[in-house]
Amino acid sequence: MSDGIQAPSGRSGGFRIRNQQDFYGGLVLVAVAAFALWASRDLPGMRGFAFGPGTAPRIFASILGALGLIVAVGGLVTDGPPVERVAVRGTALGAVLIAIFILVSNYATPITAGLGLRQYETVLAAIVVLLVTIAIARGADRGPLYVVAGTLVFAGTIRPLGLVLASFISIVVCAAATVEVRWRETILWAAGLTIFCALLFVYALNLPFNFWPRF
Amino acid sequence: MDLFINLAHGFSVALSPMNLLFCLIGALVGTLIGVLPGVGPVATIAMLLPITFGLPPVGALIMLAGIYYGAQYGGSTTSILVNIPGEASSVVTTLDGHQMARQGRAGPALAIAAIGSFIAGCVSTVLVAAVGAPLTKLALLFGPAEYFSLMVLGLVFAVVLAKGSVIKAVAMIMLGLLLSMVGSDIETGQSRMAFDVPELSDGIGFVVVAMGVFGFAEIIRNLENQSEETRSIVTSKVTGLMPTWPDLKASAGAITRGTIIGSILGILPGGGAVIAAFAAYTFEKKVSKDPSRFGRGAIEGVAAPESANNAAAQTSFIPLLTLGIPPNAVMALMVGAMTIHGIVPGPQVMTKQPDLFWGMIASMWLGNLMLVVINLPLVGVWVKLLQVPYRMMFPAILIFCNIGNYSINNAPFDVGMTAVFALVGYWLLKLDFEPAPMLLGFVLGPLMEENLRRAMLIARGDPMTFLYRPISATLLAIAVFLLVLAVLPMIRSKRDVVFVEGET
Repeated sequence: MSDGIQAPSGRSGGFRIRNQQDFYGGLVLVAVAAFALWASRDLPGMRGFAFGPGTAPRIFASILGALGLIVAVGGLVTDGPPVERVAVRGTALGAVLIAIFILVSNYATPITAGLGLRQYETVLAAIVVLLVTIAIARGADRGPLYVVAGTLVFAGTIRPLGLVLASFISIVVCAAATVEVRWRETILWAAGLTIFCALLFVYALNLPFNFWPRF
Repeated sequence: MDLFINLAHGFSVALSPMNLLFCLIGALVGTLIGVLPGVGPVATIAMLLPITFGLPPVGALIMLAGIYYGAQYGGSTTSILVNIPGEASSVVTTLDGHQMARQGRAGPALAIAAIGSFIAGCVSTVLVAAVGAPLTKLALLFGPAEYFSLMVLGLVFAVVLAKGSVIKAVAMIMLGLLLSMVGSDIETGQSRMAFDVPELSDGIGFVVVAMGVFGFAEIIRNLENQSEETRSIVTSKVTGLMPTWPDLKASAGAITRGTIIGSILGILPGGGAVIAAFAAYTFEKKVSKDPSRFGRGAIEGVAAPESANNAAAQTSFIPLLTLGIPPNAVMALMVGAMTIHGIVPGPQVMTKQPDLFWGMIASMWLGNLMLVVINLPLVGVWVKLLQVPYRMMFPAILIFCNIGNYSINNAPFDVGMTAVFALVGYWLLKLDFEPAPMLLGFVLGPLMEENLRRAMLIARGDPMTFLYRPISATLLAIAVFLLVLAVLPMIRSKRDVVFVEGET
């Protein structure tokens, strides 16, 4: 966007990002586009008249990259609010939790197998994620981190531990996402919700779930 | 009169005891979830989608439609009683609705919202039925090139009518399209951008994206603002439900105008219901003899936007049912639901599955009737629900989402992916990128690619085919025109941000 707006110069800082939201958001889009182009590099493109599997992803990724660049450049020349710290830290640390979960559940099989617990590596991953969350979640980061942790805990425990335990633990972890949490109330509430979910999903909706842990 | 024969057939489907029950459950559960502050129709439908999987297709869609109206209606209840709009389309209702509630007239406000919605629902149901058939015939003339151009137009509409930056919205659509490409290629079956992760070979689940980006991200954001949130629940007994005769007389015109505005705007792709509500309110203020009453508890200020958003909610089914193109995020969810049931939305639905098409239309009317009959007496229950503190509410919502999400494929992977999209959605919200166009792009992606590829193949690789074919060229011309119209004022000066299309 070349609307001729001159960035104010001569200040002590000199160069300043005027709309951080757009600037960083645009850069992330460019990164996503670059990643998509890289990820689809092996896919065949046009063959004669016909689109190959790689054609459409490349078209869309290229447009995304170009638009991301425009948004980012626009962020340099127009004013906007700064990016909130919570958003940056919360999302970055949340991504770390997800990475930890993936790593542990993929590479901990020897450990859990050694303990005689097959298919329990995801439970181990859930435990690790939970411990890390308790260690790093402070103040305003609680929201994103405990919601992500609660979800990952559910994902890790639903198969091996069954619906009852997975729901209960996950509800308690999620509840910790707010500073207002009251533990006694939360435990009772989690128990009540778990019973309700079990009745609703297993009896009323007839979905095939394990109730209890498998060993 | 084909129309009446068809409608009668629809009613015979919708009135079967089972479908009646699905409609009732849908309307009730929809209201139940929709009443929760900050949970709009998109999040509600995404959350409740899994419970409809076990049902027959007709029943499932009837139930989902019921959930949609219920959520809409639940949103207005919170607007009036708590001053927190449950969803974007009832933002305007808070202006006068909550003022009425404070003056002890919550009853009439709720009643007129319900009556207005019902009347609007009746009119727009007939409209859907009437317009449906001719539009379907038109759709049958469409080849791949036309379909592709139509989808482009639909997406452009969504961009133009959405809030804020056009470029950012287009970028979001591209992101959605790109995400929809993950998984096996439709034609060759080759794995694309899936990194040999077996769970990704079928692509990213649609519910996963919707739940994460709309439901979870919204909860994370609500948790931040929670301590500052001031809720002024009108706790006094909601008495005197019935509006007085002057109330009704004052609202009659507002309801009529709201219905007309809503019906027209609903058909247009984009945030139909939201814009309709805003437009109807503004219009009502313009034609009023005493505009200063607005914002201080004018009953027309409740009647008009509520009729409009309901009419728009209804007519937004038209592009979906006839052309197979979802005009907004809610309809995108409906496409997802249909696809899961093996129904390809589009013109062939009406001819191949008349039960589904007409049954759903008839059930729209029934759903609206149910909302009036059942929900007004239940207002007390909804008020009670609003007094449940958020610290208890959000873990419940999260666990329902997680269990529901897991149940779709019995895949823990999907649950984990939702956490990823929760973060993506949260990040987007914080950076002021709109998630709704992304979801629309995500849903339309496979269809668009398929039609694009087919059109190119038919035209022997000549991209000019989109311009040589008259219908396609017209559609694209309109799209370009709209885009230019939207971008021009932005270049000249900052575009007014009029509509906040939060959708949740």
